[in-house]
Amino acid sequence: MLRYFLCINLLMYVITAHAQVTFPSNEGERARYSAYIEMSRGYVSGVCILVNDEGIIKGCIFNEFGITALDFSYDPRRQKIHLYSVITMMDKWYIRRVLKKDLAQLMRCLQRSETSYQNVRRNISYLFTPIADEVTQ
Amino acid sequence: MSIVSISAQTLNDAQIRQRVNQAAAAMKTMQCDFVQTKHLKMLNDDIVAHGKMYYQQSSKLRWEYTIPYAYVFVLNGDKVLLKNKQRNDVIDVNQNKMFREIARVMMSSVVGNCLLDDKTFKTTIATTNGEWIATLVPQRKDMRQMFQKIVLHFNQQRAVVNCVEMVEKSGDKTVINLKNIRTNETINAAIFSVH
Repeated sequence: MLRYFLCINLLMYVITAHAQVTFPSNEGERARYSAYIEMSRGYVSGVCILVNDEGIIKGCIFNEFGITALDFSYDPRRQKIHLYSVITMMDKWYIRRVLKKDLAQLMRCLQRSETSYQNVRRNISYLFTPIADEVTQ
Repeated sequence: MSIVSISAQTLNDAQIRQRVNQAAAAMKTMQCDFVQTKHLKMLNDDIVAHGKMYYQQSSKLRWEYTIPYAYVFVLNGDKVLLKNKQRNDVIDVNQNKMFREIARVMMSSVVGNCLLDDKTFKTTIATTNGEWIATLVPQRKDMRQMFQKIVLHFNQQRAVVNCVEMVEKSGDKTVINLKNIRTNETINAAIFSVH
């Protein structure tokens, strides 16, 4: 009986692991995360979507109500972030600069299946937890 | 039934606003399930979230996401509770302009009385099969920074909102469909607790 439950648990783990792509490394793959960014003055939470489009990772972060905060792309070969749009209240040159660097670091972490990154200098922590794909569609 | 429907379709804008206002005034409580679909223009992708909404006149609202993420927004008077996996925060809306706006738009959209808010929105109303469709274009700068327009779909029979569309400047769109709407049933006070 115990062995039976262990097998079920193992099977469930394998199914869940398949449902959660931690990074869209291959063309056409998508990954979805529950996003949480904490700063000394507050935090931002929401959802992040990443899509591999011809080798370039296109991403979007929006809050739980659906308001888009960021649209960006990441080139894994050059390890560079391009910000397409930033919500007006965050659209300042110094915020963009930090975001570009931090998102590039975060993408590298996600590629290694690490779901968090901390900018120690600016005391900003990023936690991106994968959301199971089949539940969201 | 069809006579009511035909007469409802012939109402002019002012009469529709009046009907919605009357329905909002008569609605002491409302609770429903909702399905929120966010369309991302840049990624050509949709993400769907499910949840429950509770409203009690005049300033209590609980907006709770259950799938695929857990998130709770409770407005009770001047206080807002934000609850996610990581933390709970209580914010005074009078000290936070952004949350004051979010709370006001959510509440007035759900109830429908934002049709009367001429200072915040320029509103046009169209009538289609069984629905009044109100298109609200933000007039204030802070709202224009977020939304191109908000479209409310009203059920003509009940004069209540059953769908909210929020179109952002970028073209991204969020559609919230309200389902299983129940009005004027008692709601446990704990639902609106911000502690």
